Amino acid sequence: MILSPGKRTLEKLILTCTFLFMTACPVVAADTAGNVCVQCHGTLPGRLGEPVAQWRGSIHAANGIFCNGCHGGDPNDSANAMSPARGFLGVPKENAIPAFCGRCHVGVLQSYQASAHATAQGKEKPHCVTCHSNHHVVKASLDLINEKSCGRCHSYDVARQIKEAMAGVETRIGMTEQRIATFKGKGTDTSRLEQRLFAGRNRFHSLAHVVDVNLITKNTAEINAELDAIDGALEDFSKLEGKKKIIGAAAIVIVLAAAALLAMYRRTYD
Amino acid sequence: MSIMRRIFRWLDVRIGAGEIIEKELTGYLLPPNINIWYSMGSILLFLFALQVVTGMLLLVYYVPDADKAFTSVTAIMNRVPFGWLIRLCHVIGSNMMVLILFFHMLSVLFMGSYKKPRELNWLSGFILFLLVMSLTLTGYLLPWSQLSFWATTVTTNSVGVIPFVGQYLVEFLRGGVLVGPPTLGRFFALHVAVLPAAVALMVGVHLFLLKRVGISAPPFGCAETKNTWQGESYRYEAHPGGIPFFPDYLLQDLTSIAVCMACFFALLFFDPSIFFPKDAFIPADQFRTPEHIKPEWYFLANYQTLKLFPSEIIGLAVQGVAILFLALLPFIDRGAERHPLKRPLFLLLSIGGIMVWIGLSIWGHYS
Repeated sequence: MILSPGKRTLEKLILTCTFLFMTACPVVAADTAGNVCVQCHGTLPGRLGEPVAQWRGSIHAANGIFCNGCHGGDPNDSANAMSPARGFLGVPKENAIPAFCGRCHVGVLQSYQASAHATAQGKEKPHCVTCHSNHHVVKASLDLINEKSCGRCHSYDVARQIKEAMAGVETRIGMTEQRIATFKGKGTDTSRLEQRLFAGRNRFHSLAHVVDVNLITKNTAEINAELDAIDGALEDFSKLEGKKKIIGAAAIVIVLAAAALLAMYRRTYD
Repeated sequence: MSIMRRIFRWLDVRIGAGEIIEKELTGYLLPPNINIWYSMGSILLFLFALQVVTGMLLLVYYVPDADKAFTSVTAIMNRVPFGWLIRLCHVIGSNMMVLILFFHMLSVLFMGSYKKPRELNWLSGFILFLLVMSLTLTGYLLPWSQLSFWATTVTTNSVGVIPFVGQYLVEFLRGGVLVGPPTLGRFFALHVAVLPAAVALMVGVHLFLLKRVGISAPPFGCAETKNTWQGESYRYEAHPGGIPFFPDYLLQDLTSIAVCMACFFALLFFDPSIFFPKDAFIPADQFRTPEHIKPEWYFLANYQTLKLFPSEIIGLAVQGVAILFLALLPFIDRGAERHPLKRPLFLLLSIGGIMVWIGLSIWGHYS
């Protein structure tokens, strides 16, 4: 929606007043302190405020991606927060959504552009928001492929085949992620493994956007090989832990034996 | 003559080594009914030495810079040969030191060893207790993890409720309005230089007082359990017919240290992450507040107390009064009786106090 200069000035005035009121209030959420987009829109009713509530439960919020991460603008300056001079992009048009999201999700965009979804004839092509929604974007999983969602546009048969082909790898990625988190929680440097898993998961998720069963089957073999390598590295960590426990058990036996000997030796002085 | 005897003879004729050994070791007699609780001090000395050595080794690789601290600690844990062992020894050692310190203080309390003429022994020990707590608090920030950053933010925030000077104190501690790189610099200096030097000094004072006043006999297994000192003149409490410190009680000390080390190794090798919540391995991020930040186990009761009162200043004041009461206990409890079973009010208050502390700690953990 393009606003006339007069309406834009009015909107800025309302937002500025709201911001000034908000900063006077003592309670401001710690994670959004200083972000004028969240502070102002969070208090607005209807379609201007709803995105904030939706965003709060999203994967973007969990990873610290604020409004300006997608819509541009200056989150530190209430007067110029929505100024095009500060890079404010506003709401993208329907056909510009893939490129809008694809600025960050580059691999996914490439896969999507080559897919039947992007090359479909007709005006209403499915795009990112069709399946992922706009502001309440949750962590991507195969649950997004379901009869209710896919059935809005076409039969579920092909989608089911894609889901089945990907299900094994999805489960494996989840398990590997948990194992990495366990070692990380013990102080093990898992950053390289996390990066490899992140790359593998991205590739996997990009694959989902190709919507081609044969291509998915071929590529999942390569992703499985990468997961094998990560699991191998985790297995090395497990073996090292086992060795440490053996050394620890020996150390405990030695000091307890020393304690017993010292106690017996002391008795000889009684 | 063996080489060792020749070295001893060489030293003896120059500095009178034989006389020192006779006076301080073999001739230093301890109460005949001395018990295992008297070895807590030796365990604490051993653990403090361990903390100093492992701390020095950590200093070789640790970088006290907000941009590099977390990475350097990760490198110590993963890439420096035996770095994991050194760091875990330091972390587990600090927790064990606090635990043994509690045991040491409780044994002194229950055996009435804080009573006159040992008021200064208790006071110097209490200052040591506060210094050790400060060491653990300042050391907590150094890894610059989410846990370090936010725990320090919460702790330093508490100081802000003190009337009039609170905010100045907060900024003084943090080196700014918020916890940041200047805070790390300050806490690092306190942790590696100021506080260890203060602890070493107070250990010296504590041991000097112990040597001057003499070791108190336990009130168990003897007919007379009352304090006999009337305060008329200085008196060294000797124990004629007692057991020599060397080799008898030193062997008991070494046995206790060995048992303590068995527990230490059990934690180190079988549950090394017991003192590390998940946030301890995530780098500090001032823009992301973790969901639950809890202090170490020994501060859980303080943490829960602060939450119990409607105003933080009341919570802090209650704790301040409790600490002051404990610090001045020898001047408040002036009765001559030392046996705990013959001091019902003391027994009631102390057991009640311990139960409340444990209860608050458990509540704080699960809250």
